[in-house]
Amino acid sequence: MEIAGAFDTLLNILGILIKMAVVIGIGMLHVAYATWFERKVIAHMQIRLGPMEVGWHGLLQPIADGVKLLFKEDIIPAKADRYVFMIAPMICFFAAMSSLVVVPFFGSFTLGPYEVKGVLADINIGLLFILAMSSLGAYGLIMAGWASNSKYAFLGGLRSSAQVISYEIAMGLSLVGVMMLSGSMNLSHIVEAQAASSLKWYAFPQFLAFIVFCVAALAETNRTPFDLPEAESELVAGYFTEYSGFRFALFFLAEYLGMIIMASLGTVCFLGGWNPIPGFGWLLPPGVWWFLVKVYALFFMYVWVRTTLPRYRYDQLMAIGWKLMIPLALFNIFATGIWKVLFP
Amino acid sequence: MSGLLKKLFLLEIAQGMALTLKVWITGLFDPFRKDNKVIQTRRYPKVPRYSESGFRGLHALAKDENGKMKCVGCGMCAAICPSQCIYIHTAEGPDFKKQVTSYRIEVLRCVYCALCVEACPYGAIVLTEHYEYSDYHREDFDYDMPRLLENWDKYMAGDKGRNYFDKFWLPKARLFSRTKSAS
Repeated sequence: MEIAGAFDTLLNILGILIKMAVVIGIGMLHVAYATWFERKVIAHMQIRLGPMEVGWHGLLQPIADGVKLLFKEDIIPAKADRYVFMIAPMICFFAAMSSLVVVPFFGSFTLGPYEVKGVLADINIGLLFILAMSSLGAYGLIMAGWASNSKYAFLGGLRSSAQVISYEIAMGLSLVGVMMLSGSMNLSHIVEAQAASSLKWYAFPQFLAFIVFCVAALAETNRTPFDLPEAESELVAGYFTEYSGFRFALFFLAEYLGMIIMASLGTVCFLGGWNPIPGFGWLLPPGVWWFLVKVYALFFMYVWVRTTLPRYRYDQLMAIGWKLMIPLALFNIFATGIWKVLFP
Repeated sequence: MSGLLKKLFLLEIAQGMALTLKVWITGLFDPFRKDNKVIQTRRYPKVPRYSESGFRGLHALAKDENGKMKCVGCGMCAAICPSQCIYIHTAEGPDFKKQVTSYRIEVLRCVYCALCVEACPYGAIVLTEHYEYSDYHREDFDYDMPRLLENWDKYMAGDKGRNYFDKFWLPKARLFSRTKSAS
């Protein structure tokens, strides 16, 4: 009996380790090919070819880039705050990676006597956890800006802190509507509640929240048109101006992971997670493929917006955040509340 | 009110995004084609760029139908050359005829004005359409007579060389009546 229990625990730990390895592996692969995808899509939208030389249609380009970054000289400026400088990219990367823990990729399936859940940590505050981690990432940016001891990096860090703080509110408020409808902050429950709802996707009853969420997600991940923290025409490269080699790569990975996580969050909260797109259920059963399709679609939106829009001015950015997005999100909460009271 | 609606539904942004999407879709299969229809990138060393006919590229000394050099060593080309990069030496041949012993063009100094082509009364020098002649040493751009004649065989063989003057230059060579004793 004792031995069987211990064996079960061991198997459990092994299962978690395998799941972690799979999530990290597939996550990093997605980050690598997200860069390739972005470069390709942007290039085609600007009637260029994009990466073509390394591998078939540049398919090995992300790997070549990774190898290059690994072998580059790691420079720490003489007047930089060494330890903060070294910790900052790790914080960014850690915050982005740990968000992956609560994202439900699929429901669950049974493997022999065991049930495999599509999420690493099925915690009841999953939504809150992702929001917390995404704002923790901002600490990394600010620390990077401060520690670099360079005015460009510092300005980039300050901008990013102001931006993340303002848009975090809008994003959190936009997700409140989802919480009200589903009655849960557990991301798996939100997906299940959506499948049970009449319209299948919360993007329909919560379309205002969805718009606010998409805009806030762009700002949270410092993407065009809200990429002021790394505005290359003004701030050289923003908060990671002084970074090189693998530390730079960590920032880069964190940024793309952040995009993928925001896309996943949008998928889970508004687009029905791993359940089929309404009307296409005959094509494939619910599963990770549907989740991925939706994440790719949202990621494509990121890239699409980046190609199309120029950068906002800083006061415009703040005005959109405080005067448009937050009131819209608040109105959405109010309307959702009334709707819940009238049609319980 | 309409301004607010425009702002709320991001109308102009939607228009811009429709444009980029259209470009993306129309050019989506271009990378798989040999000749791009939408995408403007030229993959130059892999897909060579054609030169327009009449392009003024590398020099060549023309040969006549019998494969003999047309140049008589009159020195008109060297005289008119604005960058003075043509060097001609002549000497008396075995049968008391003028013979070109050396004809040199410093290609790096040439400005490709083609005045030499225009000045030549015998149509003996041409600018071919070949433009890929980069090299590693300065001396390699000092084209001497055998190499210039070789250029003719390489880039102006057949009809191309025969029609070159008729197509692009007033065929001055025809204004001169050439007799056997003239050259």
